[in-house]
Amino acid sequence: MADTIFDAVIVGAGFSGAMIAKQLALAGKHVLILEAGASIPVNVNEYMERFYTASTKVPETPYTPELFSPSGILTDPATLNAGRPTVLSLDASNWQDPKQSYLIQNGPLAFASTYERIGGGTGRHWLGSSFRFLPNDFRTQSQYGQMVDWPIGYDDLQPWYTKAESEIGVSADVDEQTYLGVTFPPGYAYPMKPIPPSLVDQSVAAAIAGMAVDGIPLSVRSTPAGRNSQPYQRRRVCAGNTNCIPICPIQAKYDPSVTINEALETGKVEVRYNTVVSDILVDVNGRVSSVNYVQYNKPDGPPAKTGSALGHVFVLAAHAIESPKLMLMSRNNGRTPNGVGNSSGQVGKNLMDHPLYLAWALAPAPLFPYRGPLSTSGIEELRDGDFRRQRAAYRIEIGNEGWNFPIGDPDVTTLDFINGMNKSGLNPPLAANTSPPALAGATLINSLNDKLSRQLRLAFLVEQSPEERNRVTLSADTDHLGIPRPAIQYDLSQYTKDGLIAAKATADDIFAKMNAKQFTTAPDDNDPSHFPAVVNGNNVKIKYYGSGHIVGTHRMGSDKTKSVVDSLQRSWDHPNLFVTGGGSFPTVATGNPTLTLAALALRTADAILKSDLRA
Amino acid sequence: MADMDTFVAISAALTGIDPGKLAPGVDPIKVSAEYFQKASTEAPDVFKRVLSIASATPPPANLADALLNGSGDDVRFLCRSIMLMWFLGSWFNPNDLKLYASAIPPAAPISSSVVSSKAYTQGWVWAAAQAHPMGYSTLRFGYWNQPPVALNDFIGA
Repeated sequence: MADTIFDAVIVGAGFSGAMIAKQLALAGKHVLILEAGASIPVNVNEYMERFYTASTKVPETPYTPELFSPSGILTDPATLNAGRPTVLSLDASNWQDPKQSYLIQNGPLAFASTYERIGGGTGRHWLGSSFRFLPNDFRTQSQYGQMVDWPIGYDDLQPWYTKAESEIGVSADVDEQTYLGVTFPPGYAYPMKPIPPSLVDQSVAAAIAGMAVDGIPLSVRSTPAGRNSQPYQRRRVCAGNTNCIPICPIQAKYDPSVTINEALETGKVEVRYNTVVSDILVDVNGRVSSVNYVQYNKPDGPPAKTGSALGHVFVLAAHAIESPKLMLMSRNNGRTPNGVGNSSGQVGKNLMDHPLYLAWALAPAPLFPYRGPLSTSGIEELRDGDFRRQRAAYRIEIGNEGWNFPIGDPDVTTLDFINGMNKSGLNPPLAANTSPPALAGATLINSLNDKLSRQLRLAFLVEQSPEERNRVTLSADTDHLGIPRPAIQYDLSQYTKDGLIAAKATADDIFAKMNAKQFTTAPDDNDPSHFPAVVNGNNVKIKYYGSGHIVGTHRMGSDKTKSVVDSLQRSWDHPNLFVTGGGSFPTVATGNPTLTLAALALRTADAILKSDLRA
Repeated sequence: MADMDTFVAISAALTGIDPGKLAPGVDPIKVSAEYFQKASTEAPDVFKRVLSIASATPPPANLADALLNGSGDDVRFLCRSIMLMWFLGSWFNPNDLKLYASAIPPAAPISSSVVSSKAYTQGWVWAAAQAHPMGYSTLRFGYWNQPPVALNDFIGA
């Protein structure tokens, strides 16, 4: 029996893969998706049980393969067929230990973001923030003499943003989102009304009224959310579980499993799970002819089967670290000596994230955090401005989960109060040379109530500049299938560091304006995710976190010697190969990247359908 | 008084939460039974002493103080473990608590384990914050836009 030749073979069942598969299938095309990880469960019960019972509740907790035991003991990534990074391997003690860290981190700084390898992709644990990029985000070189321009502008993407907002189901208000040059078609309305602001948002808004940074007045604005404010796509309304990351228990937050299931309902799509693509084969004419894969039954079991998938068009949508890894692995007996699609030499380079500055404080009066979606509003005016000539821009995300992200509360403060400790900073000794007090009864309840209800955190998502030295290469260390694991080199440019330093100054100013007492702690000297800086003559240490906004590693451009794909995400080297996702971003801007990568995916699907698949 | 009633009385004194909230008359969830079982399995002898202190005649004037400050380290740290179960749904070993409460605590984070998924979703710390467990809201869309009900409505004390 001859092997099936699919119209399109898609590698990866995440945001991009799902969006493209559905569009092609709706047009009657026969699509095969190859997904490295486990299938989409019929409900989230197993994910929730794993989340509830884990003492370490991090973005990776609900998903498979399990990377750590319930108490947090890490699995050796060499024993897993589809391993992935975890934030639990970012400590000084383990970030460069290949038995604990899936990524082989070669420094000098730690790459602090993670991703999933599972049906639905990293979109399983996304927050839901659905920002459009700003017009100037697409032209920072021509506007500010910094970084690079995109080969397309805001107006090119605008119609695709509206389609992506419909596919995801975004709740927002057009008037409120019309700022810094963003425009909408006449009469446009988001699919759903905005998510109401939290009490935390309202307190910050009241406190910063009249405040300006670099002469730019600040305001609090509701965040466009891929989260239902009314029933949508057969999914329920948000119940404010305060758990968007790692998982919404009622799927009021969109995730790509929704689109995968809709694609499957066409009857035109087949998904093969537990299927790791290991090679991209290019024929003598430069076209991709097939991909080879390995299948497994158990996450740490032996290979069960190998195979090959044939297609007319191939879409690599395996994530901004796994896609370039696969391209670099595919040498075609020397015909693609630097990897598939890599005549520019840019594959794997320009790795970017939003290095995140986190600051936390205790407000003078209750704000009642730990209620509502994780974040409902932000301060967006500093996403663009003339300051971008000198330093990176940022947006400010207001958190609704108290000090959960910064210190792991409410657990840490509870332990402090009950056991007479002071890791939180909220339970200092009452007198010199004494231990922190241990509380019980009404005193305990009232102290917990007083402190937890006043917790506030702000996260600053800083635009990282693209640099070739920040890159994904192939490690000699392998996974359980013998496939190389990603090796990462990562650093921050001075431009980016200056953005983080500016973020710290703004955090200090906002908390001062709120009359909030700041508790942000300085990182340890051996923390691999920090850098020293001098601010106002003082030596400080700036800690950054990962945002999970991994982009840049197969950048799009208008010059095939300097980019991997064109603006349609088509490989310059192989006409029937598309490489999609955040990896195509030439710059990371300041908006959370998902809506933009979804818009790009829909635009790519349209281009595929308009082209002769066999040509 | 049955051991379970004594356990609930002890728990209420230690946590500051109304016993009728900790173990309601009609209680389909019954984490009290899980916590009783956990404490009696992990530290059977000390747990018996904890129960006997509370059942003494006459009863201690201040039960929480008698348990936490008047009966030695074993009783004190098991009581703290019991409090942490009620608040967080997690078990912390009393010996670890003793070590981490010392003048020079270990640098590594203290370990703990979630008693059960039910225990996590019934943690009282969330009520103390006038909130709900992360990932377990029984509230309706938009509630976060308005102030919560009063603390006493959560803890009943």
